[in-house]
Amino acid sequence: MSGKATILFVDDEERILRSLKMLFLGKYNIKTTTDGHEALEILKNEKVHVIVSDQRMPTMMGVDLLRQASQIAPHAMRLLLTGYSDLAAIVGSVNEGEIYRYVNKPWKADELKNIVAEAANIALRLSEAQTPIKEEKTKPAAKQASLQSSILVLDNDPATHNIVKKISANCAPVYCSSDIENAFQILSEKEIAIMVSEIVIDGKDVSGPIKTLKQYNPNILTIILTSFQDTKTLIELINQGQVYRFLPKPAHEGLLGKSIQAALQRYHLLRDAPQLLMRHKVEEPSQPITSSISGKVMNYLKKIRERNGLFAH
Amino acid sequence: MTRETPPDNSIAALSVHIPPVPSTCPVHEVGSLLFLTEKYQSFLSLPVVDNNEPVGVISRYELTKIYVKQFGRELYGKQPVSNFMNPKPLIIDAALSMESASQYITKNISHPVTEDFIVISDNKYMGVGIVLDLLGAMEKQVARRNKLLAKAFADLKASQAHLVQSEKMASLGQMVAGVAHEINTPLGYVRNNVETIQGLFGQTQELVNAYQSLVKMLTDSDANEEELHTQLGLIEELGAPFSTTEMINEMNQLFNDSLFGVDQIAELVMNLKDFSRLDRSKVENVNIHDCIESSLNIGRNNLKYKVTVKKEFGEIPNISCSPSQLNQVFLNLFTNAAQAIEDKGTLQIKTYADETFVYISVQDSGKGIPKEVIPKIFDPFFTTKPIGQGTGLGLSICFQIIKSHDGKIQVASEMGKGTRFLISLPHSPQKIAKVSNT
Repeated sequence: MSGKATILFVDDEERILRSLKMLFLGKYNIKTTTDGHEALEILKNEKVHVIVSDQRMPTMMGVDLLRQASQIAPHAMRLLLTGYSDLAAIVGSVNEGEIYRYVNKPWKADELKNIVAEAANIALRLSEAQTPIKEEKTKPAAKQASLQSSILVLDNDPATHNIVKKISANCAPVYCSSDIENAFQILSEKEIAIMVSEIVIDGKDVSGPIKTLKQYNPNILTIILTSFQDTKTLIELINQGQVYRFLPKPAHEGLLGKSIQAALQRYHLLRDAPQLLMRHKVEEPSQPITSSISGKVMNYLKKIRERNGLFAH
Repeated sequence: MTRETPPDNSIAALSVHIPPVPSTCPVHEVGSLLFLTEKYQSFLSLPVVDNNEPVGVISRYELTKIYVKQFGRELYGKQPVSNFMNPKPLIIDAALSMESASQYITKNISHPVTEDFIVISDNKYMGVGIVLDLLGAMEKQVARRNKLLAKAFADLKASQAHLVQSEKMASLGQMVAGVAHEINTPLGYVRNNVETIQGLFGQTQELVNAYQSLVKMLTDSDANEEELHTQLGLIEELGAPFSTTEMINEMNQLFNDSLFGVDQIAELVMNLKDFSRLDRSKVENVNIHDCIESSLNIGRNNLKYKVTVKKEFGEIPNISCSPSQLNQVFLNLFTNAAQAIEDKGTLQIKTYADETFVYISVQDSGKGIPKEVIPKIFDPFFTTKPIGQGTGLGLSICFQIIKSHDGKIQVASEMGKGTRFLISLPHSPQKIAKVSNT
């Protein structure tokens, strides 16, 4: 590996910056700033591998910074380090920031070290390979290819089934299911590019299986469409499930349509350059998720892993 | 008359069936019935009915008039009662409600009251009703309604108290969440600094060990040159992080930052404690500026990123008041101000005093309050926030608290420019009454 990674820390509290600087001293090139605008300048002028940003800052919100960073420096891995876990920040960090990890303050030094090391490692490996990261906007081939990949809807609300079918009528086949076992059976039999899923079905939290699915099949893109608003569950879905979008219910047709389109493009980009999947590596859950998954679903998961053997690395 | 009411409340319940007399019945027979028969004792009159249809009433009063005349009984006794009866008696349909009947009777009865009223059903004679019974029944009904009203009133008061309580809990919850988040920042770097320093302490231990080995080697006559060299190299390597003044300064900075952070957490916790002090009673010598600062600290979470706070504190005397209640008022005004400011703005807090009052002016550069809304803002339950986001009690509680301090709260607002609340508090109020349920 050539040289040290560069980490950019952004926080309006200087003491946080000093503290982080000392924690990572020697291992990386460290850049710090209290101002989002300055952070963007740094990103324009220097190669940065990992950005770690606070959310609430007076001159620019973390989510805004990370959104712009993903345009200016798409190679940089994006992390949010915040003491505020409000819903808007969480949703924004996924939909706009497409972040790698959402870390709460106060953090544990070792855990943060590991997370940053992992992110730096991924960014360094990809930058060596010179992998292009962004979808090329004018690539009609993606549309053609999308015909083979399908969408799975997991929700017991028929309204969700109907809206996804309506939106995707011309671009991808849609399979619908109302329970988790049926959904995973479909996943084990078909090539599913996108899963549009609720988190709570019949009063049961299905975020465990959704997270495990991403472990077993990293190339699937998950769009969470839910009215459920528990911040802890949502943060875990970022870190352990790398969900692609969070959308609130009732579903907004335009927003959902755009998200599905973007997800299809991303799916093909990832299929063409599977090494990019590293950027969406999921965190090991603190306790085994498998306990919340029935044996049947577990069998399907194994089949899913076999199906996607090609993608595994 | 219409049949409108349920039967249990109708006049039928008061009707007493007594055999009526026909209009042809001679006066003396009616007289002996009324005056001599015990079962008619309680009646003022007898109904006169032909073919089941009431045609009149003959009262004790009328009969007495005949009997007291000289030879009255002999002269008129054989005449039919129809010559003396009242041919237009009060007739009430059995289905009529007590209230309606009572209204009708009060309006039409002759004074003094000398007759009972006749109750009919399907236009046929049913019985008679006694006016006094009706009054008694009405009184019972009023008493029952009073009881119901009193209960409804008590329920209403209880649910209002409940709402006031939930407003308090909601704002308390919001405040606690804000402060908890506020604490996470210093907690973040303090924890990280301690862990970093712990790592560095491990390194210094290694360094000390290396020095000790060196000393041992130096005092040992067998020590060989090469080993000494290696050890010196190790010491130099281990000592490197501690050898530059820059590094030492950085480490000192970590200690200072940590102390600062711990103090900041302590201050937040103290504010929280001050804030939620349970005393509701009057305290002498309260510095209003302290209350304002403490409320600003607690509300900082809402203010810090959008509001520039400008303080113009004048010379004001300490006053007697309930500081925790005033804190509640200030926090409410500051939070409202922050919510009124859409992007960025200022909050100006001014204090001044005259001989009797201390004044606190809280002015924001927010969107302002529409003219038609201003008269309602202190009303309980009035809110412009979406359902579920405000109870509409915040300002009404402020109003009550200031009133209980014998003070005043006034508002002036201009759309697009901002809103100003002016609170005036007497230096020493006559009494500080408890604000109910707060």
